[in-house]
Amino acid sequence: MSNSHLFLKPAFITTPGQNGVGRYFCQLQRVVLKFCKNNGSSRGMREFIENKLIDFVKETPEVAVYMKPRRHRTPIIRAEYLNGDTQWVNARNFTEDEILKWLQLLKTQSSDKTGIRLRKLLHTDHPSVQGPWTPYTFRDPKLNLAEFPSPELAGPHVVETTATEELLEMYKNQQIEDVNEKRAE
Amino acid sequence: MSALKRVQQWATFARIWHIYDATWQNPFKSAEVVKKFLMGLYKPIYHPLNDCGDHVIIINSGEIALPGDEWKKRVYFHHTGYPGGASWTLAWELHTKDPTMILKKAIYNSMDGNLQRRHTMQRLHIFPDANVPKSLLDNVSNQIRQLRPVPTRLDRYTAEEVASYPKLIDYPKDYIIR
Repeated sequence: MSNSHLFLKPAFITTPGQNGVGRYFCQLQRVVLKFCKNNGSSRGMREFIENKLIDFVKETPEVAVYMKPRRHRTPIIRAEYLNGDTQWVNARNFTEDEILKWLQLLKTQSSDKTGIRLRKLLHTDHPSVQGPWTPYTFRDPKLNLAEFPSPELAGPHVVETTATEELLEMYKNQQIEDVNEKRAE
Repeated sequence: MSALKRVQQWATFARIWHIYDATWQNPFKSAEVVKKFLMGLYKPIYHPLNDCGDHVIIINSGEIALPGDEWKKRVYFHHTGYPGGASWTLAWELHTKDPTMILKKAIYNSMDGNLQRRHTMQRLHIFPDANVPKSLLDNVSNQIRQLRPVPTRLDRYTAEEVASYPKLIDYPKDYIIR
């Protein structure tokens, strides 16, 4: 079994300021594309900058995109979010499509999501409208006035009548019938 | 945590005091019932790691009823730890020595042997009769229902009630009641 999840920070799904309810703010503030002008590992990045970067920037005017050429080093994408998070993506040997996909991901997520583990896939600030259970919910109100120990509350719930009780009932009915007959006479 | 949430937390984890009348009840079956209240198993918030057990007061433990011939056959074993320190006590002997012990052991044995068990037992208050200190009785807010109805014994009826009770047959005049 892997224990790698132990190093992940447990977290709940959150959204800053109910983002997306009513209005949406792109949480990505700034992107820095760092690449080399000659190295082969930056080839995809260079192609992305030539072919697709202008379209990307036109689509997302709220994100500031910087480019930083540097010699003989692996290309990376550095993303900064409104909440201060900085995410760093190693773009070594990425194709231009892969870089576009990564940028779309960085653009659409609300913060740096690496290094965290979702404790649950669902989260709500209001788990119950009724309120959490207490020992007093669904409690029989007659218990509030009862004196303990109470002989009425001691015995088990018995729905059926016993043979003795039925016989006594029959006896009572018989007595009443006898009285009625006597009155009739 | 706001004041409302704090009070909500107290309410959810409030300890309830229950009372149980052990008159004429099987202690081993009763243990299964009482255990659920002691450990808080009946609560929807139950989790083995959260401390949600309740207090249970058991009265009239001297009046328990063991099934069959268990008073004579059930044996409680104890060993002092020294050589020859073993002793076997019959249920009726143990009951005469301490009328709460059979019920206490039944409840103790009905629970799993983990670190929590002894703390759970601290919340159990057994009394051999109905004399419970008022300080304990004031806390009680629920009564656990018995497993079996307790019939009234013949010698507890008054002479009038016995005389007026309907009879199916009359004994013959020369019938000798032994």
